[in-house]
Amino acid sequence: MSENILHNEQKLLNLLEKKFLLKESRIIRAKRVEVKVEPKEVIPVLLYAKENSGYIHFAHMSCVDWIEDGEFEVVYILWHPEEKINLFVKTRVPRDNGSLPNIDFIWRQANTYEREIREMFGLRFEGLEGRKEFILEDWNNIPPMRRDFDTEAYVKEVFFHRLGREDAKDVREKIQERTDEELPDFAKKYSRD
Amino acid sequence: MYNDKESQKIVDIIQNFARKHSLFVLAYGTGCGAIEIPPTMTSRYDAERFGIRGAATPRQADVLLITGYLATKTLKRVIRVYEQMQDPKYVMGFGSCAINGGMYWDSYNTINMLDKYIPVDVYINGCMPRPEAVIAGFVKLQKLIQEGKADGWDRYKKNLDEYRANQKKIITNWVMPDFNR
Repeated sequence: MSENILHNEQKLLNLLEKKFLLKESRIIRAKRVEVKVEPKEVIPVLLYAKENSGYIHFAHMSCVDWIEDGEFEVVYILWHPEEKINLFVKTRVPRDNGSLPNIDFIWRQANTYEREIREMFGLRFEGLEGRKEFILEDWNNIPPMRRDFDTEAYVKEVFFHRLGREDAKDVREKIQERTDEELPDFAKKYSRD
Repeated sequence: MYNDKESQKIVDIIQNFARKHSLFVLAYGTGCGAIEIPPTMTSRYDAERFGIRGAATPRQADVLLITGYLATKTLKRVIRVYEQMQDPKYVMGFGSCAINGGMYWDSYNTINMLDKYIPVDVYINGCMPRPEAVIAGFVKLQKLIQEGKADGWDRYKKNLDEYRANQKKIITNWVMPDFNR
C-alpha cells in the first residue's frame, strides 16, 4: 500500500540514483524527496530535474551555516506542478573560500536568492553578476547571518537601550526544572499528561 | 501694536486651536503598524471627525507616524522626510518597537530608541496599538498642541548637533542635503 502511495517519489529517486553520483538520498515523507550532492553535481542534477523530470518551478533557495563542521549547506527547493512533489537538492561547501556554481541561467529568479546569500553569508557564486550591495546598506562588518557574527555585542555597541530591561533574566532553565505539582490549576487542565 | 506679549498669547491660542483641528498625516508607513491606519481613517473609526486626514507629500503634512519597527535603512528615508516637512511638525511613535525595540531589540538592523534620532511628541504603546489607541494618541497630541507643549520641531532645531551625531553613528555613509534651521 505504502509503495503505491510513494510511487512517484520512488520513481524520481531511482532515476536520479541511476544517473548521478548522490551522496545521500531519501524520501522524507509523501511529496518530499531529498538528495545530497557534491557542489560540481548541482547544475547537472538541477538541469535534469527541470528538463527531463518536470520540476519546472524553482520554489526557494536557502543557506544554513553549519559552523561546527565548517561548512555552508545550500538547499535548492524545486516543485513539480503536476505530481505535487517537492525536491530538495542539498549541497555543502566549506565556509572559508568555498564557492558554488551560478545557476541563474536555469532559472532567472535564482539570481535574487544568490545575491541575498552572497550578502548575508558571504558565500561566493562563480560568475554571478549584479551589484554587490543588495539588501544591506553601507554594511562594513562580517555578513550578519553568519553564526560567528555576534549580534548582541553589535547591537550593544551601535544602538541605544532604554532603561528598564536590565533585570531581564534567562528563565529557560528554571522552567525546565518545574515539576507538575508546581503548575497552577488552570494550567493542569490543559496539560497533555 | 501686535508685538506685545498679551496679544501674542491670544494669537497663539487661536493658532494652536486651528492647528490641532487640522492634522494632516503623511501617508507613509514603516513596519507592521501601517495596517492600523486604514481602519482608523475609514468609516468605522473615522478619524476625520478629529480633523485628521491624509497628506500625499511631506511638504503638505503636519504629522509623521513611525508605525512600528524602524530599520536602519528606513531611518535614512525617515530623516529625509522629516527634514522636508514644514514647521510645525509632529512625530508619533507606534508600538513597543519604536519605544524600546520590542521583539526586535537584538536585531542588527532595527533601531531601538526612536527619540534618539528624531524628536517624538507622542508614543502609543501596544503591539500593535488598535485604532482606538491610535485615536487616543491623536487626542493626546491635540492636547499638547493646544498647551503649546508639542515642540519637537523646535527641539530638533536646538539640538540638531546631538541628533546628527546619533544619526551618523548608524548611517555611516552620509550623503544627505543640509538641513536649514
